[in-house]
Amino acid sequence: MTSETKGSAFADATQAKGEAFIELTDVDKFFGDFQALKDINMKVGKQEVVVVIGPSGSGKSTLIRCINRLEKHDRGRIIVDGIELSDDIRNIQEVRRETGMVFQQFNLFPHLTVLDNVILAPREVRHTPKKEAENLGMEMLERVKIPEQARKYPGQLSGGQQQRVAIARSLAMRPKVMLFDEPTSALDPEMIKEVLDVMVELAEGGMTMIVVTHEMGFARAVANRVVFMSDGQIVEVGTPEHFFTDPQEDRTKLFLSQIL
Amino acid sequence: MTAVARPTSSSTASGWIRGRLFPNVASGIVTVLLFPLLIYLAYRAFLFIVVNGRWDVIRRNLNLFMQGTFPRDEQWRILVQIILMAMAVGVGGATASAAAADRTREAGIATRRQRPTATLRRFGPLILFVLVLLYFATTANPWLFVLAVVSAGLLGSAARFLPPRLRHLGWLIAVLALIVGFQAVSGTTGRSWLATAILVSIGVWLSVRQEGLSPLARLATKTALVALAAGVVYGIYTVVTVPGIGWDKWSGLHLTLWVSALAIVLSFPLGLLLALARRSTLPALRVLATGYIELIRGVPLITLLFMGQFILGFMLPAGSSLSSISRAIAAMTLFTAAYVAEIVRGGLQALPYGQTEAAQALGLTPGRTMRLIILPQALRAVIPAMVGQFISIFKDSSLLYILAINEFLGVRSLVHAQADFRSVAHAETLVFVALGYWAFAYSMSRESQRLERRLRVGL
Amino acid sequence: MGQVVAVLIVFLLLRWLFGNLVDNSRRTGISLDFGFLNRPTQFQIANHPEFDPRSPVYRMVLVGIKNTLLASVFGIALAGVLGLIVGIARLSQNWLTARLASVYVEFFRNIPPLVIILFFAFAVFLHGPLPNLREAIEVGFPGTSHNLFIFSLEQWGIPSLADAGNLLYFSLAIIFALVVSALVWRWRTRVHDQAGDPHHRLFWSVGVLLLMLALAYVLLDEPLRVTWPTLSENRRRVIDGFAINSGFISVAGALGLYTASHVAEIIRGSILAVSRGQTEAANALALTNFQRYRFVILPQAVRIALPPLINQGLNLVKNTSLAAAVAYAEITNLTASSIGNGRPAVPSIVILMAVYLSFSLIISFILNLVNRRIQLVAR
Repeated sequence: MTSETKGSAFADATQAKGEAFIELTDVDKFFGDFQALKDINMKVGKQEVVVVIGPSGSGKSTLIRCINRLEKHDRGRIIVDGIELSDDIRNIQEVRRETGMVFQQFNLFPHLTVLDNVILAPREVRHTPKKEAENLGMEMLERVKIPEQARKYPGQLSGGQQQRVAIARSLAMRPKVMLFDEPTSALDPEMIKEVLDVMVELAEGGMTMIVVTHEMGFARAVANRVVFMSDGQIVEVGTPEHFFTDPQEDRTKLFLSQIL
Repeated sequence: MTAVARPTSSSTASGWIRGRLFPNVASGIVTVLLFPLLIYLAYRAFLFIVVNGRWDVIRRNLNLFMQGTFPRDEQWRILVQIILMAMAVGVGGATASAAAADRTREAGIATRRQRPTATLRRFGPLILFVLVLLYFATTANPWLFVLAVVSAGLLGSAARFLPPRLRHLGWLIAVLALIVGFQAVSGTTGRSWLATAILVSIGVWLSVRQEGLSPLARLATKTALVALAAGVVYGIYTVVTVPGIGWDKWSGLHLTLWVSALAIVLSFPLGLLLALARRSTLPALRVLATGYIELIRGVPLITLLFMGQFILGFMLPAGSSLSSISRAIAAMTLFTAAYVAEIVRGGLQALPYGQTEAAQALGLTPGRTMRLIILPQALRAVIPAMVGQFISIFKDSSLLYILAINEFLGVRSLVHAQADFRSVAHAETLVFVALGYWAFAYSMSRESQRLERRLRVGL
Repeated sequence: MGQVVAVLIVFLLLRWLFGNLVDNSRRTGISLDFGFLNRPTQFQIANHPEFDPRSPVYRMVLVGIKNTLLASVFGIALAGVLGLIVGIARLSQNWLTARLASVYVEFFRNIPPLVIILFFAFAVFLHGPLPNLREAIEVGFPGTSHNLFIFSLEQWGIPSLADAGNLLYFSLAIIFALVVSALVWRWRTRVHDQAGDPHHRLFWSVGVLLLMLALAYVLLDEPLRVTWPTLSENRRRVIDGFAINSGFISVAGALGLYTASHVAEIIRGSILAVSRGQTEAANALALTNFQRYRFVILPQAVRIALPPLINQGLNLVKNTSLAAAVAYAEITNLTASSIGNGRPAVPSIVILMAVYLSFSLIISFILNLVNRRIQLVAR
């Protein structure tokens, strides 16, 4: 069975959740001679939470970075909320306004306060007036449970707090989908929970999310679908239960035995 | 909406032109403006170099530029010196790279053989300069000489085939070739035995390893052997007296290269000591070192050169005198040492304190810790900055021109003092001199970048 | 223990050196004191017709310091502007711009600044293609009888501004205009804060400034007038306009070109040093290229670049001492001439070093202040 069949079979199963919000069709990506993404076909519906797992080098980060054009795909089509990603900068900007991304290394702006980090984009991209933006910023910081850090600088915060600020920063743009690139991989163990809690709340609130992670507990809790990637291909797709009880492919079984 | 992403376009010529020269409107305008300017500059350069340039001035004075006022009939000394130096570089370089290759091989890291063209590109600027010199040569001798030098270098690099146990021999040969090469010109009279004795003593001290002796006995043995070695050297020099030309008579490019080399070599130990002194626990030492470093770094080199010229004489007992060049070398050494000290200090500070703690936990004494753990790492980390400093001192050797010392830049005064060239061809000589400096400095800077890249990988 | 020995050795060495110094000075009768500062200079300073050789030496020192500062300021300004342009050009996507900038940097960085100064002084000026002052090239302002520029071997002339009456009021008007434009800046910023619209505050405040200046100019009946460079009667000097000496151009121009290559490297390095993650985060937030540079990259790059840039400024000031090779009367040159004219060497050189040390200390002090203010707040 090809990944296409598997993927579309399960994609159909989730159609009930809403039409496809993100569509990837026959996507390939090369880094020089190395093919990072092979023939990727995937649909993500509204309010769906998709968790992408796989060994390092499998292309999972590349996949979500192609969705907001941090990487450029070489073949195939990527459509986000009806907007097709092309070389046109206006398309790209539109897509980026609708997607939020949280990075493994947080990438907060160290020379700005926490609040300024959060409201920079709303002010400069959506032209929100300052007062309104500050209210929005504080609201987001409350949502991630660190409003008291608003005037501090990122360098003064712990890793868990910084990552939550990064989430608030993306949320302030009111994105339609949130992309997470291994958000807890750079955190000390005791701080992973606080970030995952925020992500769980987001999911339960109805946000469309694509999360690249190793945290299977998170997948169990809120994922609608889990996608397993290896060597640039989608190998297996299914519900979290499916993965934990009855993985089909050998590669999937091997990977799961290493992380579970 | 069938937008198939276009294949990467940088592989085709028109794609390249579009992507790199006209990616957007503003950039396109810039290209359109710059291109004619570039053509014009190239045209003027062509006129200057090929058509109008009075390059005769170089051709007729090539000897002056290379050796300055060095006595003509003793020039064979310089030739011998350069050939010996080439051999020393060949041996030393081959030994070092063979040792490094062995280490990487044993570590299981794969190495790729360098293609000969890559080596040529690496030394491109120097090769260019040598070709320019050969172009200006009026006889066949320079060609033969270059051939001899290259052969000597290649012969020396045969040291790469030495078995590892005999590698010390390789280093010994290289150092001996350097010493003999230096003295091929300067002769063995005067105090030249001192430098050789120091080098030999250091070598003896480092290579004597007597396990199983008490520290005191080991110290005594080492001291005795060093004294013996120094005595032997002194004896040799009293027997073998070869007169030569002291460095106060050297000039031209020859002098520039030697002044820079000497300043670098002499400033390194001094700078190291200063850096350690600055970190000393003794306040007096720390204050002295810091004061010295800040003072030297706050003034231009020319003031120190003036100080060397005018004041240094006063600081020595009446009757003794130092030649102009010796004073200049002293001033440049003192100058560079302060900068080297700061660079080393930066390296020491950047080293994580955990290294010292680990050494202490293992029971190493502070001296051993410094020698075996801290300095090797700190010094390796600052190699790029050091090379930068050496390039700097090489360029700064041009300041000797202001002191009326005829090094590579200063030789121009002699050239233009001739009736034929009093007010012509100034641009040409300056361009030639600039090319010389550029070739050496650019090569050194590229080597430093290369080293930096390799060091970052951990080799 | 070893350290104590070291201190002793150094102490003894210094004592020996300075002991010899005092002995030798006494023996040869050359003074070590600074009394010579009050005695007449007894030589003329080139290109300074207003300097009276009878004035005391310390006046000469002041002239030297002034000239050093002058060359430094212009050199730093040139290096800053040129270095910024070349540094950014090196990062350009345009292959031609990037390569040309690279060639500039790799060429000027690797040759001694003295060679560049000599090139200006000898190949462009002294033995160069330009004519003598007597037959200077006068580039006329098209349509008038005035000169726009004068080019010659000894001096160049450029237009200058002079008082034509009401200069005091005009100066007040300038100050007033600056205040108003600053208020306009704040007003536009407040509009942006409240309504979110782009502020365009640069256009607004500069526009208002220029408008007010033009108004003041007209109302005050042309308080400034342009003076065009003209050759004097005997064609030996440039009068009117602003006369720049070839020595000054050599030193300031050459050092500007040389230091610009270092500045360009520093700027390029500092922009590259801002981690890629910052660019990615900015892109993910849909910031435009301009916004990314303005809000994310440049603030961080400036923090990285400022200390080495200030260091380059200090280097330029120190490099003005290379003017000792050409006819520009800055402090090193004058000290050398003064010693050549019989003044005592030791105190003169001490003063010379003290002058540069003061510059150095002042700049270090500024550097420390700047460093402290721009540090990113961390735990």
